[in-house]
Amino acid sequence: VRPERLAFLRLLTVQASWNYERMSGLGVGYAAEPLLRDLERSDPQRHADALHRAGGFFNSHPYFAGVAVGAEARAEYDGTPGGQIERLRAALCSPLGALGDQLIWAGLWPAVIGAALVGVRLFHAWWIPLAAVALMTLVRVWVTRWSLRTGLRSGMRVGGALQATRLRRWVTPLGVAAGAAVGAAVPLVVHLGVRTAPEVVVASATALVGLLTVGPRTMKVNGVQFGVAMLAVALLALAVAG
Amino acid sequence: VIPSLGAIAGLLLTGTAAGLDLASGPQVLLARPLVVGTISGLILGQPAIGLAIGSAPELFALEVLPVGASRYPDHGPGAVGAVAAVALAPAPELWRGLAVGLLLAMAGAQSLLWMRRGAARMANRAAAALQALEPGILGRLQWDGFRRDLVRSLLLTLCGLLASWGVAALPASPPRWPPVLNAVALGAGAAAALNGALRSAGSGRRVVALWTGLVAGLAWTVLA
Repeated sequence: VRPERLAFLRLLTVQASWNYERMSGLGVGYAAEPLLRDLERSDPQRHADALHRAGGFFNSHPYFAGVAVGAEARAEYDGTPGGQIERLRAALCSPLGALGDQLIWAGLWPAVIGAALVGVRLFHAWWIPLAAVALMTLVRVWVTRWSLRTGLRSGMRVGGALQATRLRRWVTPLGVAAGAAVGAAVPLVVHLGVRTAPEVVVASATALVGLLTVGPRTMKVNGVQFGVAMLAVALLALAVAG
Repeated sequence: VIPSLGAIAGLLLTGTAAGLDLASGPQVLLARPLVVGTISGLILGQPAIGLAIGSAPELFALEVLPVGASRYPDHGPGAVGAVAAVALAPAPELWRGLAVGLLLAMAGAQSLLWMRRGAARMANRAAAALQALEPGILGRLQWDGFRRDLVRSLLLTLCGLLASWGVAALPASPPRWPPVLNAVALGAGAAAALNGALRSAGSGRRVVALWTGLVAGLAWTVLA
């Protein structure tokens, strides 16, 4: 298997050894390892240092981690001083994380899920969620490949490549699509089990309490904990009322 | 009703794949309750129940996106149990499935925490090997993490299935209960989804789109 292809495959599960100390550092090191193999033959000491650097602390977005993997590998072959490579690695964490968070986690993901929920509620078609997975698989493959190639092509100049990428243009449209899709999906899903006027009153009252108590300012409990607590209270009240 | 061995194997595989997709990767929505619920429903021969029960916990899953190092519930394996609890019951009640799914999602969040702390301990134990760059050490640690995630996801799915059989075997609730409990569960889900959406939306065009979508969805439910 070609080193680039192996690195690509390893990037798909880059978070398998994610932990609170090195975050995705070990996964990034594992993905970079095939790219650095040629260095082992030409400069074993450099290869050892490069692997140490590659497996250290790193945190960004899994879809875009390939940019760092590729850029570091290229910089190692270019003979860039180790200190500079470490600084590049540290400098890439925030922009790659921010790009991935805005574009994927807060943009494409909720947009696709919201649209799938709307589609499922309107058309009752079982293939819609599976189509959403197929779409995201294509996106994941494309973004991971693009990331790795951009890193490998740019090396230490990867910052400029990230500035110039057209992917940033998608942040706002995807955010708008995510907002609209999730907004439309919420009442449609609630409509699953809330049809009559008394049910609407109960659901609205619960939602209002939830919006006031589980909001961003009072994040003592999350929505799941709130849901379980409300179900328990409602069950108790119904049991007492007979 | 206990499903066939083939169906049980399919459900375990679905839940395990969902757990792996969330934590280890490739993070392609396979872990979402809507997807897991749909596949579970298809396996159990009840696609409509799968779609419905998969949609409801999705409201809760929309609250927390896996941004940065945030801690989030794991809804995937629990969604298998949620669908089974409703699909296998003689008198299906949506709230029971949601309760199973939510409790499992909470357990999933805790299991993720344990797994990641375990991964840190594992890396610390291998510090000397990492320093000496023993051949294959990075791969060993990576695959060890993957195996832990696999076992975690499989156990969560198994717990969900066992819980679902227990819940499905319970007698039907008094007739007044399901409408109230369904409304409470879905109302809580709406609050969770809107909280998450408002947090992500911030201000500007995105929040306008959120409210526009909400009004359109409400209009559709009224007209329907």
